[in-house]
Formats: sequence, structure tokens, C-alpha cells
Amino acid sequence: MTSNHPSDTPPPGPDKPSRGQTAKRVIYAVSGGLVLAVLGSLALDYGLAPGWLTGQGNTPTPAAKGDQAKLFTPPDVSTIPDDDFGQSVRRGMAIFNDTGTNAHDYVGNALNCSNCHLDAGRQAYSAPMWAAYPVYPKYRSKNKMVNTMEDRIRGCFTYSMNAQGSPTGGPPPYGSDVYRDLQAYFFWMSKGLPTGEKPEGAGFGKIDKPEKEPSLDRGAEVFAANCAVCHGKDGQGQKDMNGKQVFPPLWGPESYNWGAGMHKVDAAAAFIKHNMPLSEPGKLTTQEAWDVAAFVDSHPRPKDPRQVNGMTVEDAFNKLHHKHDGYYGKTVDGQLLGGGASPQSAGAPQQDGNSGG
Amino acid sequence: MTDKNKQDPRLPDETFEPYEANRRIPLPVYWIAIALAIWGVVMLVQTSHSTLLADKERAALDKQDVAANAPVGAEPAASGKTVFNANCATCHGEFGTGSVGAVPPLANSDIVKAGGAKLIAQIAMRGIDGPITVNGTTYDGHMPNFASALDDKEIAAAASYVARTFTGAKDGVSAEAVAEIRKASAGQDPWAGGAELAAATPGLPAQPSAPQAAADMVQNADVATLVSQGAGSVWSCASCHGDQGEGTQTVPRLAGLPAAYIAKQLHDFQQGTRENDSMAYVAKALTDAQITALADHYAVMRAPSGARPSLDGDLARGEQIAREGDWSIGVPACFTCHGPSGFGVAPDFPALAAQQPAYVAHQLAMWAGGSRHNSPLGLMAGIGKALNDADRRAVADYLASLPPVPATPKVELTAMRSDAQPAKETTNDQ
Ligand code: HEC
Ligand code: HEC
Ligand code: HEC
Repeated sequence: MTSNHPSDTPPPGPDKPSRGQTAKRVIYAVSGGLVLAVLGSLALDYGLAPGWLTGQGNTPTPAAKGDQAKLFTPPDVSTIPDDDFGQSVRRGMAIFNDTGTNAHDYVGNALNCSNCHLDAGRQAYSAPMWAAYPVYPKYRSKNKMVNTMEDRIRGCFTYSMNAQGSPTGGPPPYGSDVYRDLQAYFFWMSKGLPTGEKPEGAGFGKIDKPEKEPSLDRGAEVFAANCAVCHGKDGQGQKDMNGKQVFPPLWGPESYNWGAGMHKVDAAAAFIKHNMPLSEPGKLTTQEAWDVAAFVDSHPRPKDPRQVNGMTVEDAFNKLHHKHDGYYGKTVDGQLLGGGASPQSAGAPQQDGNSGG
Repeated sequence: MTDKNKQDPRLPDETFEPYEANRRIPLPVYWIAIALAIWGVVMLVQTSHSTLLADKERAALDKQDVAANAPVGAEPAASGKTVFNANCATCHGEFGTGSVGAVPPLANSDIVKAGGAKLIAQIAMRGIDGPITVNGTTYDGHMPNFASALDDKEIAAAASYVARTFTGAKDGVSAEAVAEIRKASAGQDPWAGGAELAAATPGLPAQPSAPQAAADMVQNADVATLVSQGAGSVWSCASCHGDQGEGTQTVPRLAGLPAAYIAKQLHDFQQGTRENDSMAYVAKALTDAQITALADHYAVMRAPSGARPSLDGDLARGEQIAREGDWSIGVPACFTCHGPSGFGVAPDFPALAAQQPAYVAHQLAMWAGGSRHNSPLGLMAGIGKALNDADRRAVADYLASLPPVPATPKVELTAMRSDAQPAKETTNDQ
């Protein structure tokens, strides 16, 4: 301040020449603040403020998944056309979400397709239908033949939906409207995807090998702490006041049978890691996912429908299961697994082991 | 700083006439002016927008009144589909198939065929609470009553749609006829199953007889006093939660919530794991026995809905969140956990149907902010965070439009308590 040069204009007041500067700074500071406040409140009003500021971010739940950016988004339900094709799509969706009602004759347990294929078959990494539809027909080593989409769905009914326990004792016959409507639904939802290319998000996604061998004891603890609220302490799911199954049973006579893909611990672990607990995917560590998958899949469930004509569990194991990462044919808590948990399964299954599930 | 106090030689002498230089207005002043102007304009636009909305709303209400008074046109079918899909399809299915073992079908239902649209309206107005046989299969569920959720015109439209679409009936039912049904149903309990329906409507197929009405639970005098008058530092529950437990604003509806859930919340308020000043004060003075009795009292309470959509939420968006979820933001359908139609799944998943919208939106915000953190597994925390303010209002308003849960029947209550304990409370870690 000592080096102020005399200026040509007279100073504004009789005292310190620096006074003008301070006043100016104050004005700048105050007005800058005001402008910021006004702009800020406008931004807030119009929802332009970033989520981390307002605490209501719309950020997707981070999950241990692949490249989110590349994921396909299936069309919105409201865009299903209002014509005969659209009706078929809607029927397919109804079968998918309430299979026990809308394909009643062919379902032998208390599950729906949408219990494992979440969001009505649209959720990436829970084996979405838009990722399956474009890659069929396809050769499958499970039944050593080229499978059409109809063959594939037939497999799901046979194993995952335990068709051997259904009113008709088997999956929908070839050519059934059940296949027609389900395929219309899948086709509609896959619009725009190239055929023959497996899109990102297909299947249950990858899961790393666990550090330690999966343990049933640790798995039981993970189950009690993270799963039992919804699936029940006994794993039998829960029903609402009208008796409608809201949470699916994970083992026992009302769950998937020993031929279903989910009986394999690696498949179940990947599904669990990427999708469970519902609304909090990624909460479980990789080890916990393996442990609890092993726990779930080491319980009795309906028998493998391919185990026919007096085949013993041991025969079936050698023929069908020796390559699988599962508990089929093993003895847990003194019980040989694979014998079946279904009261209905005593009856002779009426299917030909022709398809995969 | 040396010559500060000395006579400054630069000072003008006494003869100098001071004058103002023609200085420019400082830039910041412009900024303020511009900012204020923008703000002003935005405010103007906003208020005019909301008056416009309000005007529209009033106009819509007027129209509704007019429509309600006008004779129903020949064609309620179009909107009937909308009403049906939003209110009935959650249980009976889009194609009226029902749900095996739980909800009877409407499509080709012998009851609907025999009773027509009028009977459907009678059922929708009162609900059903006893065994009913449809197409040879007996169901023993609980059909909610829509008296407090739908108006005469909506019930008429839905009933006509069901009769025509699912059984090929020619005749619908008019809004006036539904108004008559409403008058006749006032104060009536739900239909006690198919037998009572058959007695009132000739031509229905054979129906199972209703079980003896369960004896009313002996009303615990202590509880009745607590609820209606309070005692000491336990203020009367009804003073805040309403005479019928229907709630208001941010005070929740209690009627029909699972008993185990109510008891757990009261314990949590008591222990401070759920925070709310009023409830903490009330709950601290309650004994365990009183908590159990109060929980039972509200769990079996049947009350009409006291909730209406009131947060200006987008109902279509709300319905989508509740029934399908929005998986792009990691939110599963609310109904996958809270049950179809938001009736809850005892003991851990409370009913949401007819819950007060301000309360629902507020709780979702509290989970997002971390101030409600007593939920099993923290299941609601991520959901609360993922929804933005508009979504919270949308889903809260949609839930407020649903019919209230038919309260847990008294007979089932004791059974439930013995084999179902509420999940261990776990605190989520945020
Ligand atoms: C929360 C689930 C739920 C909702 C929502 C619901 N219902 Fe029902 N409905 C039921 C149940 C359960 C029964 C059987 C009651 C029993 O078992 O006592 C039933 C029975 C009926 C019946 C008589 C039986 C039959 O199938 O013919 C009709 C008619 C009916 N409902 C119509 C409707 C209409 C119209 C709506 C919409 C305004 C509706 N329901 C909404 C659950 C529901
Ligand atoms: C002063 C008003 C007031 C009184 C009196 C009161 N409550 Fe509450 N209650 C509230 C409010 C407000 C909430 C919501 C708390 C929150 O926002 O978390 C609540 C919440 C509850 C809840 C949690 C409900 C839910 O859906 O999670 C229960 C249970 C409850 N009250 C029971 C009672 C009982 C029983 C009584 C009588 C002994 C009572 N309340 C008296 C104001 C009151
Ligand atoms: C993964 C299961 C799950 C899903 C999905 C879910 N909820 Fe919940 N919700 C719960 C549980 C468990 C509770 C009980 C919390 C407690 O005990 O504190 C709850 C409680 C609530 C409550 C408190 C009710 C009361 O009376 O206080 C509200 C409100 C609520 N949920 C709204 C929603 C909405 C809205 C959605 C859909 C956007 C939703 N929930 C989806 C599990 C879920």
C-alpha cells in the first residue's frame, strides 16, 4: 500500500486509498456468492445437480458384473403391439411370470421362469431371454444334438420346472402354444440384436474360483444371515395370505430337480453372486457365494428324470453327473442325494431325456 | 505504512471542488441483476405452471363429477380395461386366469357367468373372506374390498369389462346401479365366502358353507384404553394414528400390518434402533405384554383406506415401479417382496397397500439418508437410495391408490405367532 502511485483522478474519499479496493472485493464476493446460490438452487430445482450432492443418485447398484455399458436394453413392455402378435407376446410373458398357472399342466413344482430369470427374463446375468434367443438353434452337449429354442424350453420344463411331477407328467408336447407364446415373447424382446452372437450379459456371468473349498457349514451361516428372511429358514420360500408363493423354494419337492442347471454349484454360485440378495447384488463375497451355493445344492430335491428304468443313483451319476460340480450321488448328513424328494416322482416319468434344462 | 499519518501532499487544497468521476457500474452489479432477473422469470414460469396444473386438476374433478352424475354411456369397456389392469390383474392376472391354488380365475368362472357384472360389483364393493368354489375348485383366500379405493364409475367399468371380456356377457352394470350397491353395502363385513353370495344371488353353483365366524378376540381392556385414551406417558395411539388405525400424512397406517412387524418396530423404537421422537417417547413406557397386545389389536383391524394419492406423483410410473421395478437403476418390483398388490408377507414384509403416501415417501428418503436403518439385511436402503424424489412420490401415490389389505383373520393370528418369529434385527452398515 505504500507504493500507491498518485492517480490522475482524485481519490474517492479523504482517507485510505485502499478503501475502494476493499469495497470492490466485498461486492465481488457477495455477488459471486449470490450468483452461485441462485444458479445452484435453479440446478437443484431442475434436477441438474449430480446425485452425490443431493443424496438421491440414480446410479445403478454397482454389482460385480462385466461391462455395463455394452449391455443390451430390451424394449419397454408398453411397446408390445396391440395386435394378434402382441397378444401372443403378452401370453408368453404371463406364462413366464406365473408358469404354474398359465402352463399349469406341465409344471411340477412351485417355481416360475421369472424366479431365476429375473425381471421377467430381462435382467442381464440372470440368463436373460434376449441373450438366449439369438443364439439358437445350437448344439448342446447335454443332449448331444442341435437344439431349437423349442427343445431348449422343453428342457427347462423337464428339469427346472420338474415336469415329471406335473398333472400331465411331462413337458408341453412339441408344437404346443406354450412354446409358441414364449418364443414370441423372447423374439419380441430381442429386437435389434444380431443372430449368432452371444451378447454381453448372457447366462449367469463369470465367477472366480473360491479361495477355499466351498464349505457347507459356512454356507449354512451365510444362508441364515442373508437368505432366510425371504426364502425361509427351511428354504421353502414364503407364501402370501392367499397362499400364493411369493418367495421361491430352493430345495425339496417344490424346487428344481437334479437335472436342472441350477443344481450345479458353479452355476448357482454365479447366479447368487450377481443377483442375490435381491436388490443388493454383489453384497456377498465370491467365497460366500460359493459356500451358500454349495449349501443350497446339498439338499434333497426331485430326482433326475433321466434316471429311469431302474437306474440307480450310482449309474446315473456315472452316466450323467460325473463331470458336474454338484452333490448328486454324494452323501450329506447320512443321506444319499439324488434319490428324489418329490412324493410324485415315484410315478414313471414320461419323457425321453431328449432335451436339456 | 510509514507515511500513513503524515499530511499527504497529494491531498487537494481547500479550494478544490470534489467531483464524481464518471465510473462504470461494477460488473458484479450486472451479475446480480441478471441472476435476479433469471430467477424471477423462472419463478414466474413455475408458479404459472403449478396454477395450470391445479386448474387442470380442478377441471378434471369437475368433469369426474359431471361424469359420475351423467348416465353411463354404452361403452365403459375401454377404461374398464385400464381399471382392471391396474387394480385386479395384480391378483387375477391380465387374462383373468387367477393364480393356481391362491386366486380363482375370472375367465369362464361359473360364479361370474351366473352373477354377471352386478355380482362382480357386489364382490368388489365388499371383498370376500371365506371359502368359495369356482369351477369346481375351492379357494380360501381374501379378496380385498375396493369401496374406499375406486369410485362407482370405476367399479362399474371394471365389473362390466370382466363380465364381457372373460365370460362373453352382453350386459354390464351402470354407475347408478353400483351407487345403489354401495349404499346397500355400507357398514357390511366382507362376504363370508361363497355360501353368503349364493344366498343373495340365485343361480350360483353349489358353495361350501362358511366356517363358524371366529369368536371375537376378547378385547384386552388395557389395550383399548391405551389405544383410545392413553395412559401416562403413553399417549393414545388413536390421537395420531387415527380411530381406525388408518394414519394420516407422515403418521403410518397400522391397520392390517403383520403383528410381528408391528411388535418389532415398537421394540426398535424402544431400544432406539429406529428413531422417531414421538414414537420413542410412547414406546419407552410400554411393557412387552402391552406391545404384543397392541400388535394383535392393529393386525386384525379392518379399516377402509385413509390414503389418497396426494404428492402429485406420476401414477403410471408408480405402478411400473411397484409391479415391474426399474432394474436399470437396480430396483426390483416392490411386489416381489411386499406381495402381489402390496399386501405384505408376514412376518417381515409389511403391507404397503393404502399406506399414507407422505409416510411412504418420507421413509424411502430416510433409508436413502441412512436415518432408518433397522431393516432386515438393510433390504430397503439400496432401494431408497436408487429412487429419486419423483420416483418416491410416484410409487407412494400409486400405493395409496390400492385397496387396503384385508386384515389378518383372527384365527390365523395365533398360529402365525407360534411358528413365525420376526427375523433377527440387523443393522445395515451405512
Ligand atoms: C389381492 C388380490 C386380489 C385383487 C387385487 C382382486 N381380487 Fe378378486 N379375488 C381374490 C381372491 C383371493 C378371491 C377368492 C376369495 C376367497 O377365496 O374367499 C377373489 C374372488 C373374486 C371373485 C369371485 C370368484 C371368481 O373368481 O369368480 C370375483 C368376481 C373377483 N374376485 C373380482 C375381482 C375384481 C373385479 C377385482 C378388481 C376390482 C379383483 N377381484 C381384485 C383376490 C383378489
Ligand atoms: C404423537 C403421535 C403418535 C402417537 C401418540 C403414536 N404414534 Fe406411532 N407413530 C407416529 C409417527 C409419526 C410414526 C412414524 C415414525 C417414523 O417416521 O419413522 C409412528 C410409527 C409407528 C409404528 C411403525 C409403523 C410402521 O409401519 O413401520 C408403529 C408400529 C406405531 N407407530 C405404533 C403406535 C402405537 C401402538 C401407539 C400407541 C401406544 C402409537 N404408535 C402412538 C406417531 C405417533
Ligand atoms: C428385497 C425385498 C424388498 C423389496 C424389493 C422392497 N422392499 Fe420394502 N421392505 C422390505 C422389508 C424387509 C421391509 C421391512 C423393513 C423393516 O422391518 O424395518 C420393507 C419395508 C418397507 C416400507 C416400510 C413400511 C412401513 O410400514 O413402515 C416401505 C414404505 C417400503 N418397504 C416400500 C417399498 C417400495 C416402495 C418398494 C419398491 C420400490 C419396496 N419397498 C421394495 C423389503 C423389500
